[in-house]
Amino acid sequence: MKIEQLVPLILLLPLLGGLINGVLGKKLPKKVVGSLATAVMFIAFGIALNVFFQLHDSVRIDLFTIIRLDSFSLNARFLVDDLSIWMTLIVTGIGSLIHLFSMGYMSHDEGYYKFFTYLNLFIFAMLILILGSNYFMLFFGWEGVGICSYLLIGFHYSDEKKGLLNSIAARKAFVMNRIGDLGLLIGLFLILSTFGTLEYNEVAAKLTELSPSNWMLFGITICLFIGATGKSAQIPLFTWLPDAMAGPTPVSALIHAATMVTAGIFLVVRSNFLFETPGAQLTQDIMLYIGLATSLVAAFIAMRQNDIKKVLAYSTVSQLGFIFVALGMGAYTAAIFHVTTHAFFKALLFLGSGSVIHAMSDEQDIRQMGGLKKFIPITHLTFLIGTLAISGFPLLSGFFSKDEILAHALHHNAFIYGALAFSALLTAIYMFRLYFVVFHGEFRGSDHVKSHLHESPLNMTFPLIVLAVLSVVGGALNIPGSHWFSHFLNHNVTGLDKVAELHVDNSSLITLMVTASVLTIVALIGAYSSYVMKKQLPVSDDKITGWAKLSANKLYFDEIYDVLFVKPIELISKLSHQLIEVLFLNNVVLGVAKSIGRTGDLVKKIQTGRTEWYLLWMVFGIIGLVVYYLVKI
Amino acid sequence: MILLLIPSLFALLTLVVPRNVIRVFALVGGLASLIYSCTLLCGFNQDTTQVVTLFQLGQNSIGFSGKMGYDGIGIFMVMLTNVITLIILLSNYNREVSQNKLFTSMLFLMQAALLGVFISMDGLLFYIFWEISLIPIFIIALSFGESDRKAALTKFFIYTFVGSLAMLASLIAIKSYANSFAIEDLMAVELSAKTAFWVFGGFFLAFAIKIPLFPFHTWQPNTYSKAPMAGTMLLSALMLKMALYGMIRWMVPLAPEALNEFQFPIIVLGIFGVVYAGIIAIKQADMKRLFAFASISHVGLIAAGIILFDKDNITAALIQMFNHSLVAVGLFLAVDVIERRMGTRTLGELGGIAKLAPKFAFMFAALSLASVSVPFSSGFIGEFLLIKGLYSYSWVIGLIAGTTLVFGAVYTLRAYQLSMNGAPKITSFEDLSWNEWIAFFIIMAIIVVIGVCPQMIIDLVGPSIDQLLETYKTNSII
Repeated sequence: MKIEQLVPLILLLPLLGGLINGVLGKKLPKKVVGSLATAVMFIAFGIALNVFFQLHDSVRIDLFTIIRLDSFSLNARFLVDDLSIWMTLIVTGIGSLIHLFSMGYMSHDEGYYKFFTYLNLFIFAMLILILGSNYFMLFFGWEGVGICSYLLIGFHYSDEKKGLLNSIAARKAFVMNRIGDLGLLIGLFLILSTFGTLEYNEVAAKLTELSPSNWMLFGITICLFIGATGKSAQIPLFTWLPDAMAGPTPVSALIHAATMVTAGIFLVVRSNFLFETPGAQLTQDIMLYIGLATSLVAAFIAMRQNDIKKVLAYSTVSQLGFIFVALGMGAYTAAIFHVTTHAFFKALLFLGSGSVIHAMSDEQDIRQMGGLKKFIPITHLTFLIGTLAISGFPLLSGFFSKDEILAHALHHNAFIYGALAFSALLTAIYMFRLYFVVFHGEFRGSDHVKSHLHESPLNMTFPLIVLAVLSVVGGALNIPGSHWFSHFLNHNVTGLDKVAELHVDNSSLITLMVTASVLTIVALIGAYSSYVMKKQLPVSDDKITGWAKLSANKLYFDEIYDVLFVKPIELISKLSHQLIEVLFLNNVVLGVAKSIGRTGDLVKKIQTGRTEWYLLWMVFGIIGLVVYYLVKI
Repeated sequence: MILLLIPSLFALLTLVVPRNVIRVFALVGGLASLIYSCTLLCGFNQDTTQVVTLFQLGQNSIGFSGKMGYDGIGIFMVMLTNVITLIILLSNYNREVSQNKLFTSMLFLMQAALLGVFISMDGLLFYIFWEISLIPIFIIALSFGESDRKAALTKFFIYTFVGSLAMLASLIAIKSYANSFAIEDLMAVELSAKTAFWVFGGFFLAFAIKIPLFPFHTWQPNTYSKAPMAGTMLLSALMLKMALYGMIRWMVPLAPEALNEFQFPIIVLGIFGVVYAGIIAIKQADMKRLFAFASISHVGLIAAGIILFDKDNITAALIQMFNHSLVAVGLFLAVDVIERRMGTRTLGELGGIAKLAPKFAFMFAALSLASVSVPFSSGFIGEFLLIKGLYSYSWVIGLIAGTTLVFGAVYTLRAYQLSMNGAPKITSFEDLSWNEWIAFFIIMAIIVVIGVCPQMIIDLVGPSIDQLLETYKTNSII
């Protein structure tokens, strides 16, 4: 079959899976529901692979016109090029594995069919986001992804203890995303009013033709970037992501590590032609420093978190910051390369943590764990590989993808390189801390939990193994020397072919790699000595002081936002209701009504019913008229 | 004329049919109207810009032409009225009021009055139907509302009545320059700037109160919360649409000379209302009041879009009007479902319903999401187009209007979560009855259909809007 037929099929499959499970799932046995949802994903992945091998030049597929107005039209149209098909492979590939994992993980959950419906629909929305050929389709998918993530974060909404908290976490994610969406929406309108179209290729083509002012380009790109900060959890809109860990763990793996959070990065890479204009220079710099700050802040906070998922969540935020630094330097392929490897090892780590939590009877506090390597060997081994990969251990995937960003940074500016390297060092430290505290030492949980410790079933460990293999070999995609991935992406993606490739000479490449390796190994040894040799344990929250307290309390971001935004708006809400609504407006309206009544009362007094008074008033009237005319003449 | 006859006939007949069949009889009536208007829709030639005339009187001394007819916009509003009326009948089916003669009769009278408003092609006739519609809604609210309803209803009645009088004054003023009240005669009148200002102003007062726009809205939250479910639905889904429709059909085309002066203030009022009511809705504890403020917030955006008065924005406003009607009816039905079963609609006393009533939870959640304009819902398209239009007018206005994305998410999801999520506070909650389920289902189905193919509405109303804009432009140039 041709690409034109295959690509709609990739989208249709998860949609169908979602619809069937949504309508009939309640009556179907769990096995059927899970198998169906997982099967559509694997088939979609297979088709995506097929398209990937067929694809040479970019292909446009028209479905239908959503809206045709006089001034513009919005089309349901797809664009298949190396960027979109690559992202499709990641989304469907990792998505399939996570679906498979969920079949085991969620097997005891009442809302089993709902869970798979949402997952399928999420994939569908994400695919629209990626495969759309214009900004409207992107926005459509963008909002769809937001809503599915809302449903999945708040999935356990009726939990006795945490139901409402889960819902609030979901709402926080949705609202924060919506703030970013507003930025994106304004960006869309700016693009539409400047270029008269939302199609990527037409915008790119008209860019040279129309040559909009630098301010306009700055406006467009900064709005797009604001949108990206929401979905991709950058400062200032990042606080929703750690809270989003309220969702079931596979959701964290799929949405908050491998796919949804990459939407902002995808948006920037897709719009690279806009970001490479002189007017967008400032945006690039902003992006770079926001990314850098996010990376450091999140890494700092991750140092003292004791919830296994929170550590991973902050590490995601930190890695995304890393990628935004790359985007700020115009290193688009390096960014997508790191997105890819990050998808591998972060999905691995999250699923691994899911397997740990599953074994621990839903306990997430790492202080209750310890010595788990004996009990869950496969999870342990794969988690170790994930930890090594994200820490940039030599020759694993994270090593190469981080190295490429670091090489760009060194070329750009020594300070940025230093800061990034520091962030990478922190990453290695907190990841090894997590690994050693969870898997080494003595078991610290209750006997009840200990008696239940068990390795997960095959449908959960199999995805771990596949992801572990990918995390190990993923670096080969863009290994220095071949740079297959860079050539691949630069081949038919609009704009990317014009971006100059960075060529690093061999000696500095080796210096870079050696430095990175040394830092990682130092972190490894440091963490080993304190958490295994000296058997240090994370202390309880009230005993920590100084920097550690700042880290444990997440730098008080939530509290600051609460004081700055939430409380004032609630206050305005109450005040406007009490003062403007009830006191002022209501009384004005009633006042008008009363004044009419009073006028009536006044006039009523004249109506005495006695003729002599009427005569008197009449005489006064006549006199008045006479006087009036006399004066007027 | 059959269009008007069906509901009028049913309004009379319900008074004589036996009590126990009234509600079935009513459903038949609702369906009959809907089916008939569907045949009209099918017979409507979408490319024509001609008004399909249904009725016309001969010449007479007062210039009352009695002309009735519809174009694309008119038939669109007729469909809206008939769909919503049927949904209201359905959702009331298992409530005691559905067996009440007065109630059912007044509902049909309301439908007839609304249809009359939307097919009037004569100023006086428009005014007459406009005023008639006040009677049934007042009777419904007065006879079946909550116990402390009197003060709120008096306020509502006087307030809207004052507005209507201003409109009547405007109509008479403009008629003094024309041969008859027929819309084409009134549109042909060329007004001096000063007269146009007052004519426009009179219409605006009537419409601003009915919509309601800030600061003319003080009657609305109280009336919405004191009226019975059907009353709130009629008010929010249909009566306020009369005013929005009136802006498109009557206010601007009759006095286009004053559009320039009024455009900016109306946009400012509309957008201010979006933010103001949105923020107030965030902290409301009474669900009905909450959605009442949400309604002010949503219609502010529509009014601002209409007053831009170009094709794209009027189209967007019409789509959003349909969307708002459906969402409002759905949300007020949801509130009523909760109130009937729990005896309260205060958010603090609710919680955990979702676990006990999965069908209801699904429908309420889907509606809440439609209310915050997610993809595949009609609101996504309508809101996108309206904010775009306002953005083209001024980016500051567009940005402020866009905050509805954020505030809407906050108050709607808060209302849903506090009532439905968390641990159940009660042991049982009867899930949706069949009629409620169907009502919700129809609402959701239409929302999704419009959300996926909004083009069908654009094609339906497009030529008529072109025609409207053309005549209005030639008139304002002369």
